[in-house]
Order: sequence, then C-alpha cells, then structure tokens
Amino acid sequence: MRRLRVQVTVLLALLGMLVVAWGAAIFLAARDAARSNNSLQSTVERVDELRRAATRLSRDFVDMETSRRAYLLTGDRAAEQAQLRAEVSAVQGFEQVRRLSGRWRALVPVVERVADEYRAWVRTGHTELAARRERGARAAALVAARGNADQHFRRLWDRQTALEDQLARAQRAYARSQDRTYETAQALAVRTALMMLGALILLAVWLRRAVGAPADALRSASGRLAGGDLETPVVLGVENELGAVASDLETMRRRLAGRMEALERLRHLSAQVVGATSLQRLAEVVLEGLRPEIGATRAVLGAARPAGDLHLRALAGFPDPAVADDIIKADAEIRLVLPLPTLRAGQVVGMADLDRVTTGLPVLRDLMARMGVASLALVPLLSRGRFLGLLALCWTEHHQLNREQEALLGLAGNQIAGALEAALRLEEAERAAGEAQAVFYAIADGVLLSDPYGRVTAMNRALEALTGWTEAEARGRPYAEVLPLATDRADGPADLVSRYGRKVPVAVSSAPIFDARGRVVGGVDVIRDVSREREIDEVKSALISTVSHELRTPLTLIHGFAELLVLRDLPAERQRSSAVEILDASRRLARLIDDLLSVSRMESGRLVLDPRPLDLAAVVERILSPFRAMAAKHTLRTKLPANLPVVWGDPDKVEQILTNLVGNAIKYSPGGGEVLVTLDVDGDTVQVSVRDQGIGMSPRDMGQLFEKFYRVDREEVRRAGGTGLGLYITKRLVEMHGGRLWAESWPGVGSVFRFTLPTSDELAGSGR
Amino acid sequence: MKLLIADDEPAVRALVHVTLEGDDYEILEAADGVEALEVARGEAPRLVLLDIMMPRLDGLEVCRQLKADPDTSDIVVVMLTAQAQERDRDQGLAAGADDYFTKPFSPLALLNMVERVRHTQAGAD
Repeated sequence: MRRLRVQVTVLLALLGMLVVAWGAAIFLAARDAARSNNSLQSTVERVDELRRAATRLSRDFVDMETSRRAYLLTGDRAAEQAQLRAEVSAVQGFEQVRRLSGRWRALVPVVERVADEYRAWVRTGHTELAARRERGARAAALVAARGNADQHFRRLWDRQTALEDQLARAQRAYARSQDRTYETAQALAVRTALMMLGALILLAVWLRRAVGAPADALRSASGRLAGGDLETPVVLGVENELGAVASDLETMRRRLAGRMEALERLRHLSAQVVGATSLQRLAEVVLEGLRPEIGATRAVLGAARPAGDLHLRALAGFPDPAVADDIIKADAEIRLVLPLPTLRAGQVVGMADLDRVTTGLPVLRDLMARMGVASLALVPLLSRGRFLGLLALCWTEHHQLNREQEALLGLAGNQIAGALEAALRLEEAERAAGEAQAVFYAIADGVLLSDPYGRVTAMNRALEALTGWTEAEARGRPYAEVLPLATDRADGPADLVSRYGRKVPVAVSSAPIFDARGRVVGGVDVIRDVSREREIDEVKSALISTVSHELRTPLTLIHGFAELLVLRDLPAERQRSSAVEILDASRRLARLIDDLLSVSRMESGRLVLDPRPLDLAAVVERILSPFRAMAAKHTLRTKLPANLPVVWGDPDKVEQILTNLVGNAIKYSPGGGEVLVTLDVDGDTVQVSVRDQGIGMSPRDMGQLFEKFYRVDREEVRRAGGTGLGLYITKRLVEMHGGRLWAESWPGVGSVFRFTLPTSDELAGSGR
Repeated sequence: MKLLIADDEPAVRALVHVTLEGDDYEILEAADGVEALEVARGEAPRLVLLDIMMPRLDGLEVCRQLKADPDTSDIVVVMLTAQAQERDRDQGLAAGADDYFTKPFSPLALLNMVERVRHTQAGAD
C-alpha cells in the first residue's frame, strides 16, 4: 500500500525540488543576463571607442585633405605643416582603429581596404605636394589636374564612411542584443512560475482526491455508524492510511453488526426461553436458539438440588433419549471432571477435547462415546449469584470456543438461568398444586371451597357423597343450597341435610382464604361426618350406663344386706339368707368384672389364643363334672362318638365356651330336665351341641341374643341372674378359633346351642 | 300401710322386704313397669318405690302415668335407681317423683323415709 505519508513526503519533496529549480533557473537566468550584459557593455564601449577613433581618423583625413588642398593652392607652409600634423595624427588614429577593430574579424578587411586607399591617397597627395613645392603651383595644378589624389580621397572617404556605417550598425545590433537578454530572463522566470502553479494545482487536485474525498467519505461513514446504520458497508477505494481507517471502520461495523445480530438472537432466545414452561422445552429451545451461533447439536440441562449436587433434568438433540440413564449412572465420574468452583463463579468452561479430559476415566469415556460427544461447553446458570444449574452444550466434533462465543454463552446463561428459575418454580408450584388437589379430593372429610360471594367453586368426593351433589352440579350455586345445615340448638351439633333429605350429623369448621395482600378471596369449609362418632358416643354412653347399672345392682344388695346385718337385729334365719344374698351378689359382681375384662381384652385384641391339639371329649367330661355335683334337678348327658379327630384350640378358652353354654342350659331350665352335650364330625370341623329342655326363646328374643348386655326380657331370665356378657364372649371365643356359634330354640321346649371347632390347625380368622 | 316395690331384680325386692319386715307394712311387688302400674292402680298403695330401668315400661314412664291419673296422683313415688347421674335425677323429678334413692342405697335411710311418709300420712288423716 502506498502510504499517504510517503505520498505527501514525495509530493512535498517534488514541490521543494520545483521551488529549488525555479530559484536556480531565475538565478542562472539573471546571472547569464548580467554576464552577457557586461560583455555587451564592453563590446558596445569598444565599438564606441572604435567609432570615435574612426571619426577622429575621418577628421584627420579631412584636415589632411583640407591642408593639402590649401597648400596646393597657396603653397602656404603653414598648410603644409598642418597637413603633416594631420598625417601623423592619422597614422596614430589608424593604429588605434586597427587595434580596436582587431576583435571583429569582419572589420579587418574593411579597415585594410581603408588603409590601402589611404596609402594610395597619401602617395598621390605626397606627389602633388612635392610638385607644388618644387615646381610651383602650376605643376602642382597639373599634377592635381590628373586628379589622382582627389580620386583617392573620395574613394578613401567612401571606404571610411562604409566603416563608420558598419560600426554604427554593429553598435545598434549590440544595443538590440542587450534588450533581448532581459527578455529571455523574464520569459524563463514566467515559465518557471507557470510550472510551479501547475504543480500546485496538481498537488491540490491530488490532495483533494487522495485525502479530501476519502476524509469526507470517512466522515459520513462514521456519521452513519454513529447514527446506528450498521447495514451500509464502509468502502473508500483508496489505499492509504485513510483507506486503512476505512477498512478498520468496516471491520468495526461488521463486528458491531455481528454483535447486534447476536444480541438480536439473544433477545429472540430470551423471548423463547421465557415461554418454555418445562425444563424439557427449555432445553430444546435453548439448543435451537444457540445452534446457529455456536454449532452445538446437543444439550443437557441440569438443575442444582438444594443440597448442591447437580441433577440431570432434560436432554435435547440426542437421537437416543436412553442416554439419560447412562448419564445418571456416570454421575460420580461426571462430578470428578466438572470444574464446579469455576462454574459457580459464573465462568463458561469449554472442553474442546473430551478425550484428554476423560483420560483415566473409562466409564466417562464410554459414556461420551455413546453420547457421540467430542467436545463440550459448560454454561453455568446463575441467578442473583445463586448457582441454579448447568447447561452442557455438546459437539460431535472437536470445537474450540472463541471469545465471542464464550461471551455469548455467558449472556445466554443469564437468560436461561432466569427461565430455569421460573420453570423450576412453576414445576414446584404445579407439584404443590397437584398435591393440594390430590389432598383436596382424597381427604376423607368433606371439603368445600367457595368464592367471596358464597358460591361453590369446588368440592371433594367425600362431600359429594355426603350432600348428594356432584361437584359439577354444585359449582356456582350458593353455599347454603349445597350445604344446608339444620341445628336443634345454636351451640349443638349440626345435621347436614342431603339433597335427598337424609340427615347426617356433621362437624363443620370454616376458614376464610386470604390472598397475598390479605384480601379474602374465598372460604374453605371442612365438613366431617360425625355420625359414626355420635354412634360410638351413644354406644359408649349406653355401655357406661349399662355397666354402671349392672355393677350397682349387686353392690346395692351387698350394701343393703350388710347394713341390715350390722344395724338390725335380724332373726337367725334372716341373717343367713341375707348372708347368702351378699355372697351371691359378690359372686355376680366378680363374674361381671371378669366378663367385662374379657370383653375389653377381646375387643382391644389383647386376648391371644394358645392353640394346641385337644381331646374334646376329655374336655367335655372334665367341665361337666362340677355341674353334675351341683345340679340336682338336671341330668347331664353326653353323646361322644369314638375315633373323634383331635381339634385345635386353646384349652382354657374351649373350657370357657363349654362352661358358659352348659351353665346357660342349666340356668335357663329352672324346671330341670336333661342337658345333652353332643360331639359330631362335620367335614374339617367338630360340631358341639348343647341341648336343654328349658324355657326356650321366641325368635324375637333371639334377635340380639349374642349382643353385649342383652338379656331376654323375662322374669325367669332375671331370676337366673347373669351379666348379659356370657354369650357375647362365648361367640367371640368360638370365632377366634375359626368356628361358628348359633342357636335354635322353641319357647317352653328348650334350646340348642351349637358351635364348631377346626380339626386341623387351620385357625383361619383366629381373631388375633 | 301398703307400699309397692317395683324392681326387675328379685334380690332388690327381697332387700326391701327384709328392711321393712315386721313393721306392719303390706309390701306389694312388681317385676316390671306394666305390672307396677297394674298393682298401683288395683291396690292403691300409699308409696311406690320405682326402679327406673325395668322391662316393658321404664320407671319414669310409670311415674308419669301415676301422676297423670287423678286416682293415683296422690301416691308418693320414690325413684330407686342405679342411674346416678344428675340428669337422671332431674328426669325423675320432672316425671313427678317425690323423692329419689340412688343404688346402692342405705336400707335404714329407706326405712326412715318410709316411716316419715307413714307419719305424714297419719297426720294428714
């Protein structure tokens, strides 16, 4: 490139040289002029001298002629003398003329011709003079009449005049040539000045072309750039420093345009990532947005867990999504090579050659091969300084990040981090909302949500079942229509009246729902069906009442008879009967307490069987013997087949069952009769029957036979005493053995109670 | 003096018997509410000892019916029950009972009460 400085230097040098040349020309011309002027001057002066000498010579010629003629006429000696003097002067004059004219070759013949004529003239003159002097005037006149001397004089004069003319011409010529010398010098000076003017014009044109126009172009280009026009290229078409500036400007423009374009893409990416609500979508959008910039074809998105470790969340661009499992498996190795501190500091990390990084980590090397990844860029995702996660961009070939790409990824990282944070938050919110919804619908209590105007917005399944409304039907209806509550007392329990008129006792708790600013945006009502609780309460209260009644009755007897014994003087026979009453009452009390404890143990599951093989026939015989001893009015009989299989049972409990049933049979056959105990094999079970010939029961009496504290409302039953718990306990015990207890009865005829016990160890439903 | 003990528990009736024995009382017995009402109407005793929890008709109802009937409303009704709660006493008194004995009761207190009724009766006569 021809540098402007060089150009300017050269130009200035040329200009300088031109000025020097101009000066030199003027100097030389002046000197020449001056020099030629001097020589001319001396020549002119010499010519002048020569002319004067010639003139003097002419005068001498005239004096000589005049003097000669005068002498010839008069013969005067003075004239002769004058002629001689003039002759001497003429000789001198000739000498001078000859000397002076020696410089001009052209004059020499002219002077010689004058001299020749002069000599001829002098000779003839001298002859005449001599004639005059020697022979007098006449002779002289004769000689002169021949006229030689006069003729010669005329010719001499002519020649002398020619010489003088020539000298005058020469003098004029020299004067003219002196004038010409000045003109030449002037012309030279003018020409040089014109050349310099031309050079200056050329310089101006060149400057205009080489500097001015490009400078203007540069100015307008820089103005355009300043004005934000990055589209128009900066082209100058000159190859100098300005051209270099222009090309720099062009480079700058291209870079800026590139940056602007990158920014535009970033903006686009930013808009895209904001719309990505799931992490998967985010990964895809990011890859799509960054691919044109950096050429990566795959992306892995990881989120940092609260504990700080990374958790793979989404993949994009991988042909085989199963690679995710491989990545998760290689978690430990990946963590080894992740430069976490650098990433946490917000620095984009490029791994141009994964082969080098994974040296010595075969698992990772395999993984990268399976992923088809040769190089990586790790982009930390930080939001407000918090490390949220990591975006790994993958290339299938080696790729070295340049600084611009690194900067771009850094910027993109910020955008993605924001989107990641939003997506994670959304995910969390959705999860929480899903949980809340699941809880809402799954909760066993009825839940109703309403808006601030009391209209139903949602209700759960439990409430649907309670009210008979479906959520779809109820939505938008007034709260009170869907949930009509009827209360007997203001502070009493409320009954929910269902759509079909069913009343359900409920407990309602309500609360307003506030938004973040504390405004009420709705209400929540939790409606619990308390019918079961109320039932339990009622049962409990009835049980307590019953138990208290059952306990107080024997206590009353013990207390009353004891007080009578102590404070009254009873006859001996009364004393005894009173004591018997006390004894009976205390036995009854003890039995009642035992039975209550049994029931409690059974109901709480604390009563555990200890089953073993049992010889049922032996058990029957064993329990019957005390009854045989006591019951005088009854006949106790057994029907026991031979080869009875061994049954499984808890000996104590089986004895208790049999004792209860045989005891009842005796108790409720106050008139005596036969009590028959029969054992029969029935499939896998042995069936035990206890038959009496007692008072029997009506079907109505039998309805609640096996319930707690139930006793048939008959005087005989009262009289027989009892806790009302025996059959309940007996039935439970049979069922715990996996058997069944039932009864058949005919009023006034008798009853049969039957139960089964398993013969094998199948203690199905052992009631533990 | 004629009095009625209505209780489904025979031993309790026996206790009342023994308590009042030998003091010139004619003791009538009933084992349930319906029977109690019949005996009271038929025999017109001066005093009825009424158990509350009885088969067929409970003591409160018997008391209410006795007090509602002008023929029997003069009979002194004393509730005799195992129901110890305040609520039961209120119910008894609301049904028109004149007094209230909670099981277990003191036979001598019962005797005193009966004596008092007899003297009031005598004074009134």
